[in-house]
Amino acid sequence: MFSFLVGEAVRDLRRAGRVGLSAVLLITLSLAALGAFWLVSINLERAVTQWRERLRVVAYLRDEPRPEAVAELVRKVQAVGGIQRVRYVSKGEALESLKRALGAQSSVVDQLPRNPLPASVEVTPDEATATPEGTRELVQRLTALREVEEVQGGAEWVESLAQWRRLFQLTGLAVGAVLALAAILTVTTATTLVLHARRDEMEIMRLVGATERVIRLPLLLQGMVQGLLGALIALGGLEAAHALLAPRLEPLLTLTLGLSRAAFLSAPEMLLLLGGGAGLGALGGVLAKGRSFA
Amino acid sequence: MIWLHHVAKLYDTGPVALPALTDVSFSVDKGEFVVLSGPSGAGKTTLLRLLYRDERPSEGEIEVAGFDLVTLRRSRIPLLRRSIGIVFQDAKLLAGRTVFENVAFVLRVLGTPRGEITPRAFQALKAVGLSARAQAYPAQLSQGEAQRASLARAIVKAPALLLADEPTGNLDEDMAAEILELIKEIWTRGTTVLLATHRGALAAQLKRRTLTLRAGRLVKDEG
Ligand SMILES: Nc1ncnc2c1ncn2[C@@H]1O[C@H](COP(=O)(O)OP(=O)(O)OP(=O)(O)O)[C@@H](O)[C@H]1O
Ligand SMILES: [Mg+2]
Repeated sequence: MFSFLVGEAVRDLRRAGRVGLSAVLLITLSLAALGAFWLVSINLERAVTQWRERLRVVAYLRDEPRPEAVAELVRKVQAVGGIQRVRYVSKGEALESLKRALGAQSSVVDQLPRNPLPASVEVTPDEATATPEGTRELVQRLTALREVEEVQGGAEWVESLAQWRRLFQLTGLAVGAVLALAAILTVTTATTLVLHARRDEMEIMRLVGATERVIRLPLLLQGMVQGLLGALIALGGLEAAHALLAPRLEPLLTLTLGLSRAAFLSAPEMLLLLGGGAGLGALGGVLAKGRSFA
Repeated sequence: MIWLHHVAKLYDTGPVALPALTDVSFSVDKGEFVVLSGPSGAGKTTLLRLLYRDERPSEGEIEVAGFDLVTLRRSRIPLLRRSIGIVFQDAKLLAGRTVFENVAFVLRVLGTPRGEITPRAFQALKAVGLSARAQAYPAQLSQGEAQRASLARAIVKAPALLLADEPTGNLDEDMAAEILELIKEIWTRGTTVLLATHRGALAAQLKRRTLTLRAGRLVKDEG
């Protein structure tokens, strides 16, 4: 019975012909668009979380405290509130990390007559404070401390990044939805053609006592196959685009977003995309049924 | 096998709904061969369509193969149809499939186990003398052969009841006689047959019980 249903579905696909092909194409387009926006959004999301985690406020100190006064200073900073962690960075440590960042060029530092870097405390805001509002207030409270010369850091740009991500997500959903609608309609049209070509067959099926399930399942299947095909092509296209573009974009990404690589969709996300395609196709198949039997 | 009680059928055709059948009552026992005769427009096709539940009666009661057709739920219609084989004036073969595939199609649609399909399809083709043409497409068949193929398709699921609506309508006399002979053979093997024809001579020649319809009324039941 299963082989019969599949065989009929294959026949139906052939009958859907060119319209079936354009249905596959439209599903490909809609899922590729959806997937592309999704990809961008996923990577922005990664950047946002990474930056949220890394969010630091740095308070540069007027003078380097004596070693025995460091603990007292840290306590004092901690006391301003909204702080998860405080790390003291001495002048020496600051210079060391500068050297590390410079790498091969670090010898430049050795040429300096004296250490120009100030000592500082690196403050990680707690979760409630890691908002643009919260960090701004934290910066004010830190500036008010007598030992502090200047405070740097803030959450504004991370938040605007997050907003960009949301915008991308919404645009992607909107574009994908419009295309998906077109795709469903095309599958419906293709299936209606199939129904037309299948009139005689369905008449015979009904006469000999086939159940409606057997009569209709091939329609659903062929719609699903159209959708799945479209989704596979879309996924292949996305993979290819990602493989081609990611190496070129990564230097830029590191610079702007701090991401070392552009991630692709995860396995469950890919499955979701494929399932979405199959679903769209099946829906198209079912809708055609509803129309023609009404 | 068939039981009708004061059955009437009106087709819904706007202001003047003429009755296609009026107050028809009769019954056919299991294993009978019954001819349904009457001039064109008498209501023969309408009556057959009521029997396989293509239409519902406007009035009265119908029972076929143990199913009460008045209360039969839509989802149970396939069950009724499985016990009925139907042949029409035109063979209604599927053009894109061979004779064998046309016959096997029925079994596949009904979910017959794979291993049974081929032997049973060939057996049906053999019963109508068409084994040699199994791989031909409908367009390559003579009308008589096409009608035999459609007969094979009707009996392949071993129905308890065979309904034939002018099965010889398109055929010349020789071929018509051949088809009737085949139907008789099918009946001999235990299938109840109801055969509709407007050719009075043909009906007489069969020498079987004959129900005569005229303008939607059952006017004679004899033989
Ligand atoms: N689907 C329909 N809609 C409306 N009227 C119909 C329909 N089918 C049949 N009729 C009418 O019902 C009456 C009986 O028709 P039916 O086809 O049952 O006659 P018949 O005995 O089979 O005739 P024939 O020998 O020509 O096949 C006719 O007057 C016909 O016009
Ligand atoms: Mg008729």
